[in-house]
Amino acid sequence: MIPGPFTTAVRTAQAVARRGLSARDCLEQVHDQGNRTVALVVTALSFFGAVMVTIAYAQARKITGNLATVGPPYLELLVRDFGPLTCALLAAARCGAASAAELSAMAVNEQVEALELCNGDPYSDLVAPRFVGALVAVPLLCILGTSAAAVSAALTARYVFLTDGMAFLDPRFIDGWDLLSGGLKALLAAAWIPLAASSRGLAARGGSAAVGEATTDGVVVACVGSIVLVAAVGLLFQLLGV
Amino acid sequence: MRMDCERVGVLHGPARALAEVSLSLAPGEHVLLCGPAGSGKTTLLKVLAGLLRPTSGAVRWDGEDVAHLDEAGRRRRQASLGMVFQTDALFDSRTVLENVLLPLHNRGVGREEARARAEAALEAVGLLQAARMRPEALSGGMRKRAGIARALVVAPEVLFADDPLAGQDPATARALGELLDRQAAGRTLVVSSPEPPPVLTIQRWWVVDGGRLVHDGPPAPALIGVEEGT
Amino acid sequence: MSAVLAALGRGTLAAARAAGQSALVLGRTLRAAPRMNRRELLRAFGHFGWESLGICLWVAVVIGVMVVVQSGLYANRFGARMALGWASGFAVTWEFGPLLLGVVLAARVGARNAAELAVLKAGGQLEGLSGISLDPYPVLLAPRWVAITASTGMLASVTLLVAVCMEVVSAWASLGVPPRVFTGSMADALGWQDVLGGTTKALFFGAAVATVSTAVGLRASGGARGVGLAAASAVVRSSFAIFGLDLLLTPVLAAGLSR
Repeated sequence: MIPGPFTTAVRTAQAVARRGLSARDCLEQVHDQGNRTVALVVTALSFFGAVMVTIAYAQARKITGNLATVGPPYLELLVRDFGPLTCALLAAARCGAASAAELSAMAVNEQVEALELCNGDPYSDLVAPRFVGALVAVPLLCILGTSAAAVSAALTARYVFLTDGMAFLDPRFIDGWDLLSGGLKALLAAAWIPLAASSRGLAARGGSAAVGEATTDGVVVACVGSIVLVAAVGLLFQLLGV
Repeated sequence: MRMDCERVGVLHGPARALAEVSLSLAPGEHVLLCGPAGSGKTTLLKVLAGLLRPTSGAVRWDGEDVAHLDEAGRRRRQASLGMVFQTDALFDSRTVLENVLLPLHNRGVGREEARARAEAALEAVGLLQAARMRPEALSGGMRKRAGIARALVVAPEVLFADDPLAGQDPATARALGELLDRQAAGRTLVVSSPEPPPVLTIQRWWVVDGGRLVHDGPPAPALIGVEEGT
Repeated sequence: MSAVLAALGRGTLAAARAAGQSALVLGRTLRAAPRMNRRELLRAFGHFGWESLGICLWVAVVIGVMVVVQSGLYANRFGARMALGWASGFAVTWEFGPLLLGVVLAARVGARNAAELAVLKAGGQLEGLSGISLDPYPVLLAPRWVAITASTGMLASVTLLVAVCMEVVSAWASLGVPPRVFTGSMADALGWQDVLGGTTKALFFGAAVATVSTAVGLRASGGARGVGLAAASAVVRSSFAIFGLDLLLTPVLAAGLSR
């Protein structure tokens, strides 16, 4: 029976309560998952921002409208839905693949068992730092990515389509609920990604094919889980009517 | 520590890795675990070391069923075990010295003492000059010696060595055998190997085949198709 | 200032090296493709293609809903629900569909390919192949490349189709646009060229993922940590390659397929 993300969460919490947590390992994970993913998230979101404006422009031309009027609602959409979702997907891809691949390679090479005989614990020594790292890094990545998308949309509107770019940075439609919704989505995805990837990684048995399979599984479970969590929060807020 | 297996069976998915293995290991004994590739040697070592939970049967350490031990109890007993893994299982992101220090840190040994003990262990295997290198920079024989140093640094009562001489050239194999022989004095030792390793003097053999224990007693080279005296 | 220049230079050199390695891998793969191992090809189609279908369907759902919500901003503001189908279909087939699919496949397929190759490399098995005078390209690498590229093309057509269906459903559920109005507007404004354009893009993205992840996997070093880094860097570099290709392909395809 493969322990799933939830079992992994419980075991990690127990192990940390028993044995504590290494600050150095956590910082290393913040660096690994955060700094090494910044370039990807910022580039991708700038790109998506520009693409969205281009599509909006094509629509604006077809429907008699001017591009600038969609600026403020566009920014709200970005902060509430699009930014957290895309950033979480990218983080799940990059960080999920890294964690699942490294942990599965360790499992296959008997390093997890060696750790146990070194009086270590895979949950407190390997999973917990990844969890803390993601919990710090992923929300920051979401903020950076969302900002990048907004700025790139504004620049594209201003310099490519020669309209009022500042409309895409106009926060008049954004209220506390939007920020809460976006933040909650980012946090939930941040908690899910390392647990999903680690549980698949630690369960790997066999050779190179097992590492590949665990990597894939980790990525898929991390991505799909993030999508579901983001959608669930969106639905919850919709039902609450905010 | 005394170890007993009672009708231990292990399933790896649908495949049977061990079946109905019963044996006992008294303190201070030196045992060779022999058998062809895929016969269950690694599985048996891991079951004895409490790293793998048997699907059926029971493993006892000093008469206590391992399955009934709580986490703390299991860890306390595992602290007196050392294992040299088939794949070395060195942590790639740490230097050789950090690898050897890890079990001491995790046992709460003080910084100064840990360092002295780790350096002594590395000296004993002749790796002190490579202490600051990463495992990937080492040769196969050196990695194996680093693995031995990490297993020995906690002064284990029982030392398991999983095919420690595999893939080593004859001279390295001889040196590793001598090293293990020297370090085995005063402890329990179980060495697995497809054929009897040179140098090591061992009175008791376990022979496994197809997951079953087919021989438990004095050396029986004929059983694994090796001439007497090799 | 000199530090900035040095960093810029280092980055440029690294990018050039990565591009060169990928080009080398691509060339050798294409040369070996006619002689490739059929059994490995089938296995690779299963692992990279068939087993990716599930996540592609998830992506299709996300794309469909996301695009309708985005276009809905417009439609509601201008009361132009008639155009919603066109707008959504256009966005899915040309941009969001191929891009998101490419990035997710970079993670699902590229990471796996790179991790497997990295483990084979670390274990000496790749050198072992050369040692018994077997060229790894026809035996191992070309089949994977072909399977990844071809599967991406096929998965793209399925994904785009499902995404469009999801749009119909979500436009009806969230904006109250009747399916007939939506599909009518889509059928009026979209042609086979749009679907072909999106699928062609995805095919190129697939080739990029296959090439980049193979190059990254072959260059991995350093045990478990190296495997993890290889998997992650396959995702990152494939994604960058996809963004770059998208910039190049969009105008070329738009001109080539314009009506």
